[in-house]
Amino acid sequence: MTIEEKDHKDQRLAPQQQLLEDEDIEVVSPFRDAVRQLRKNRMAVAGFSVIVFFILLGIFGPLFTPYTYDGQVLTNRLLPPSAENWLGTDDVGRDLFTRVAYGARISLMVGFFAVTGALFFGTILGVISGYYGRWIDMLISRIFDILLAFPSILLAIAIVAILGPSLQNALIAIAIINIPIFGRLVRSKVISLREEEFVMAARAQGMKNGRIVMHHILPNSLAPIIVQATLGFGTAILEAAALGFLGLGAKAPKPEWGKMLADSRDFIQLAPWTLIVPGLSIMLVVLGFNLIGDGLRDALDPKMKN
Amino acid sequence: MKKLRWLTMLALLGAFMLIVAACSDDQDTSSNGGNNDNAGSDDEQVLVFARGGDSESLDPGSTTDGESSRVTKQVLEGLLQFKKESFELEGALAHDWSVSDDGLTYTFQLEEGVTFHDGEPFNADAVKLNFERWADPSHEYAFSDDGYAYSMYGTMFGGFKGDDGHVIDEINVLNDYEIEFVLNRPLGFFLQNLGMTYFAITSPKALEEHGAAINENPVGTGPFKFVSWSKDDTIVLEKFEDYRVDGLPKLDKVIFEVIPENASRLIALRSGDIDIMDGLNPDDAASVESESELKLYTRAENNFGYVGMNTEKEYLNEVEVRQAINHAIDRQAIADALYAGYANPAKNPLPPGYLGYNDDIPGYEYDLDKAKALLEEAGYADGFDIDLWTMPVARPYMPDPETVAEIVQNNLGQIGINVNIVREEWAPYLEKTAQGEQDLFMLGWSGTNGDPDYFLSSLLHGDNAGSSNRTFYKNSEVDELLDQAKVSVDQDERASLYKEAQKIISEESPMVTLVHSTPVLAASAAVKNYVPHPSTSESLAEVELD
Repeated sequence: MTIEEKDHKDQRLAPQQQLLEDEDIEVVSPFRDAVRQLRKNRMAVAGFSVIVFFILLGIFGPLFTPYTYDGQVLTNRLLPPSAENWLGTDDVGRDLFTRVAYGARISLMVGFFAVTGALFFGTILGVISGYYGRWIDMLISRIFDILLAFPSILLAIAIVAILGPSLQNALIAIAIINIPIFGRLVRSKVISLREEEFVMAARAQGMKNGRIVMHHILPNSLAPIIVQATLGFGTAILEAAALGFLGLGAKAPKPEWGKMLADSRDFIQLAPWTLIVPGLSIMLVVLGFNLIGDGLRDALDPKMKN
Repeated sequence: MKKLRWLTMLALLGAFMLIVAACSDDQDTSSNGGNNDNAGSDDEQVLVFARGGDSESLDPGSTTDGESSRVTKQVLEGLLQFKKESFELEGALAHDWSVSDDGLTYTFQLEEGVTFHDGEPFNADAVKLNFERWADPSHEYAFSDDGYAYSMYGTMFGGFKGDDGHVIDEINVLNDYEIEFVLNRPLGFFLQNLGMTYFAITSPKALEEHGAAINENPVGTGPFKFVSWSKDDTIVLEKFEDYRVDGLPKLDKVIFEVIPENASRLIALRSGDIDIMDGLNPDDAASVESESELKLYTRAENNFGYVGMNTEKEYLNEVEVRQAINHAIDRQAIADALYAGYANPAKNPLPPGYLGYNDDIPGYEYDLDKAKALLEEAGYADGFDIDLWTMPVARPYMPDPETVAEIVQNNLGQIGINVNIVREEWAPYLEKTAQGEQDLFMLGWSGTNGDPDYFLSSLLHGDNAGSSNRTFYKNSEVDELLDQAKVSVDQDERASLYKEAQKIISEESPMVTLVHSTPVLAASAAVKNYVPHPSTSESLAEVELD
């Protein structure tokens, strides 16, 4: 454990002791501290609940209905919500509840893998450019600048156009457009940490670069990355829905939310539930991740402590 | 941080309210109705016609696009025209015509005293000039260097000047108002062709003045003058005061407006922003009919939508597989579900009521067992994977192609054929399907001259493989029957030849004919004398607003 981290901990403990008067003095790990902070934030708890709801919906939702996501019953088209079809049916008579539940799997998976991919490559590139600096920093940073100069959805469309439209390629495109966001964040954090005394000390002791990065720099850059990853989850889902809406994402009959929305456009007056159901799902999931992200940012920021 | 969070919340809430607002029924907002809102101060009659896509070109011969014909029909006229509700011919710029006994010489008496919109007098020379520029790609007004191709002329008259099949031998100006066409062989539907919007006469002076830009500056003799065109938005036409028919047109101005989404177009109609909308969702027809401010119109059934099979691709080159696919698709369900009753299942690639429509053909009933048995016979009991190309735009014969594709995917899935839906933009879609990149594909055909040749030859003649024949179906027997029917002037003989051809085509199953649709339109109740023509282009000369 470094001096820096111990310092942090001492700072954190002080106010904590005052708050928890009747409890024994305990050593709180940064993680548990963050969780505690987060639980006090009602908005974050609400966001968390929404996400948990959609995860459960994705896993168990389809078990509650006798339908499959692609089972067409052409005589039951555009039925309003009822006891048989909880959220109504779409224009070829498929059960919307079943489709939205399957869609939750797709959207959450796209969010997860796109963020993981962007995080992985963004972190590697960010560390390299921040830690080693000089020409390699110049090169990577300019590439990031170029990527960030495009409106993100335009870039995603271009990438999908090159790779061919499919859910997998949409996922890759979303990961790529998010790489510079993580990369820049990591780079700026690495640059400031590189000059810190504990890093200097480690280097003076003869520690290798790789070890310094893994043991000192990355663990100390974690907080902003976690926040960005959570917020990025929401953005990724929204971008996947946008690509799906434009016909560049999941293919029929996969119930991707954006595609469901696009397919129902013509029924906005006749059967509004066919739009409201997937639209509301997208909105709630994105909102959920944003609320958690905001909560995490507050919880992980020592300056926000009271 | 708090502030940001609340802002996000507010923004999302706002977005949600917008969705709800858009979804709520806004029928009551249209009650102020009428079209007086867009009438000018001195009761100017302005009609706004909204459609799904923009015109491609306003030089009528240079395009086959229905959205173009719809507009050029108002500005330019041909020698003949179709009657209001049918493909029966009546005079337009020619008031009388006669055919020689051998069917080779056609003589037309032209209207006298007609002027083009630019003041130029209309006469036989103008007619001759226009036919020459279509027939001869090297003509100074053919603009082939600028990428113009009068493909419709080639299709309808057997090719271009110098081609073996080209049917017009010479055009003779007898006097200012009399012109004669001499053919080298009879053509059963020669007069029918002259009624098509593609063969409308442009002012020679305008051709000289605008050159290749004539496609953005149409000058004809029609009831309306061209005023302006803002691409993908509006085309504005105004009344031509010296129109050859007294008292017409009744409207002072016509505006063609592009509103891509069917649903938004209907909202615009209900709120009184537009007067006529093309491409109503069949699902909305019932509610339009029940609203007193709106009126529902239908176009006569004159098309068919189909799933084509590229007969040169693996699996699809086997007739059993094609027949199996034909048995596996539930036409009736598609007609009932997606067209709200405004369609009938199709068994022939020709609408009923056409000369030579063969009603004795049984067609392929929906029968999954039969389909599976046929697949097994072909050796594909376990099925296979195949691509289905789906059209990106709604057409009258296919108002919701995406959903039809999903139903076909589902239908074929039940006999073990895994369908992968491929999407492509409209222009590349047409180009690539003509080149044969597709396996299965969706398309349709609407009649524009009322003749069966326009359907059967365009879509299934071997010579057209790689252009309008996208199934690449080639059968010498069928080709011969179609060729014979083309040159015959005896309508009974033509009918029996076409019937024979349809029989072979049905057995060989190069396409799944899905439905004949009755396209539905909606207009404000204030619109009077509007009659939708089966060809999809109708004159608005007699239309008026209350």
